[in-house]
Amino acid sequence: MYHLAMKSLLRSVQRPLGLALALTLTMLGVACSSAPSGGTPRAIGVESQYADVLAQIGGPYIRVQSILSNPNTDPHAFEASPAVVREVAGASLVVMNGLGYDAWIERILAAAENRRRTVIDVRELLALPRDTVNPHLWYDPRTMPAVAAAAARAFAALQPAHAQYFNDNAQRFAASLAPWKRALASFRKRYGGTPVAVVEPVANALLEAAGCRILTPLALQVAIMNGTDPAPQDLASERALLRAGKVKVLIYNQQVTSPLTASFLQLAQAHHIPVVAVYETMPQPGYHYQSWMLAETNALRAAVAEGVSTRTLLPAGASR
Amino acid sequence: MLMSVPSNPGFWVNEPVRVALTVGAGAALVCAVVGCATVMRRQAFAGHALADVSSAGGSAAYLLGLNPLLGFLGMAAAVAVVMEWADMREVRERDLLTGVVLGAGLGLTALLLYFDATMGSVSGAAMTVLFGSMFTIPATIVPVALAVAGAALVASAIIYRPLLLSALAADLARAQGLRVRAVTLTHAVTLALAVSLAAMTVGAILATALLIGPAAAALRLARRPFEALVLAALIGLGATWGGIALAYESFYWTPGRGWPVSFFIVILIFVAYLLSSWAATRRGARRGAALYGCEGA
Repeated sequence: MYHLAMKSLLRSVQRPLGLALALTLTMLGVACSSAPSGGTPRAIGVESQYADVLAQIGGPYIRVQSILSNPNTDPHAFEASPAVVREVAGASLVVMNGLGYDAWIERILAAAENRRRTVIDVRELLALPRDTVNPHLWYDPRTMPAVAAAAARAFAALQPAHAQYFNDNAQRFAASLAPWKRALASFRKRYGGTPVAVVEPVANALLEAAGCRILTPLALQVAIMNGTDPAPQDLASERALLRAGKVKVLIYNQQVTSPLTASFLQLAQAHHIPVVAVYETMPQPGYHYQSWMLAETNALRAAVAEGVSTRTLLPAGASR
Repeated sequence: MLMSVPSNPGFWVNEPVRVALTVGAGAALVCAVVGCATVMRRQAFAGHALADVSSAGGSAAYLLGLNPLLGFLGMAAAVAVVMEWADMREVRERDLLTGVVLGAGLGLTALLLYFDATMGSVSGAAMTVLFGSMFTIPATIVPVALAVAGAALVASAIIYRPLLLSALAADLARAQGLRVRAVTLTHAVTLALAVSLAAMTVGAILATALLIGPAAAALRLARRPFEALVLAALIGLGATWGGIALAYESFYWTPGRGWPVSFFIVILIFVAYLLSSWAATRRGARRGAALYGCEGA
């Protein structure tokens, strides 16, 4: 089993970027004339969603890798391997989430010192306070346009000749979020104020942008996220929400489960409350950040409007 | 603070609390009975090792999606029987073997918990297996826990007298034609049942507290074995239920978080032990030693 873990980790690190790049470029409508060569600067998005955005901005001029992309493991519990340390040491740009979500990368960065490396801490970039409770920043519609603009600036410093190209890509990226934002606005207009229950605070920013009212006690969400003892009062209120049908949908973390979260799902099913899976890292294959967020929003709408559950965003039988 | 609990109607109707009270009561009663025999047989360290080793079974259960109680139980029973088989006569040798087995068992737990987090995408397994999380015990475990507790109590009742005799005077027991081996093997299995229930309640690492603490306190005060059993059961039950009540109440004195229930149970057991020591010392000065320690300690 250890072997499997290593293999999936290696796969995620060494994943040939050709296909991802081709997809990205097709989507952006950019002609791809020359393949990246050995001297191409490298950038790391610690979580696969940040890597996806970096690849969309850098195009063929930046080699992008991600560290956390296995949707079957809990990113909070990631342990770095020597291969990851080598990748980080050679990177010119590292984008990390911050807020303790990927605190281990700070130790690697400190160990592999490199004064020419730029580190973007997304929490700092968004000027959020250090004691922000919910670290899942990428579900907030304001996050990725800021990351894209910061990445374009960092790439321009690395490859000044292509500064305009990076800048155009960042603007195009921000514009490409329009379908998702329209879906959020449409949901808010039609279903604003919908009461929802969640298991962890993973997609809370998206739910808030969609105008949902999250009725689950925040202390319970945080206890489950951090794996600490939940209070019996909070457990009882979550169960009561599901039993009494006070919520229209239960949002749960597809990547991290426990007997407790499974019991919430069972309770929701028994009381005909649809469930929607959300992810800690971008589900793959088949998604870019934009299409992932749109798919989550559409799944939320399908649950609230038609009572349809979405237990996975991936087609049946898709590889990890 | 304890007084305010019955006045709070939420406590008694709260489903996680009711599951915790039921499983906790079973664990406390079995631990009291098995714990007294374990302390008298000077097997406290073996009991602790067994509880620690059972954590490997608990973590494996998470990985395989099995009932965690059965995971704890399977591992504890297997190791208990093997260790009883090894039958070390010398205390020093037995302690060394126990220590080595404990280390290997916890090492296996470390590996399985790593798999839980990286492969099984299970959250919170480490905290739950090692330190317990009574309020998240699924209601489906209650019948299994009660069956395990019932089996342990029946087995303990059957071997109660012969075990006591073999603990206090092994040669005499043998001379009377007792099948000492069968008795000690049965005790090893009841010990495994007790630690797996305790591991379910306060976690594998803290299980010793529930197994040894109430028994040790009771044996300091009681002068007859049966008296010790009853006293240990009362102390164990009081600490477990009191701990659950305090954890429930702590929700109102902390900013809506509540403190871990295992902390309160273990602290109450510790306080009970301190009080019993103090009481035994005061009384001992007047009337001589109590049951525990009369055997040359």
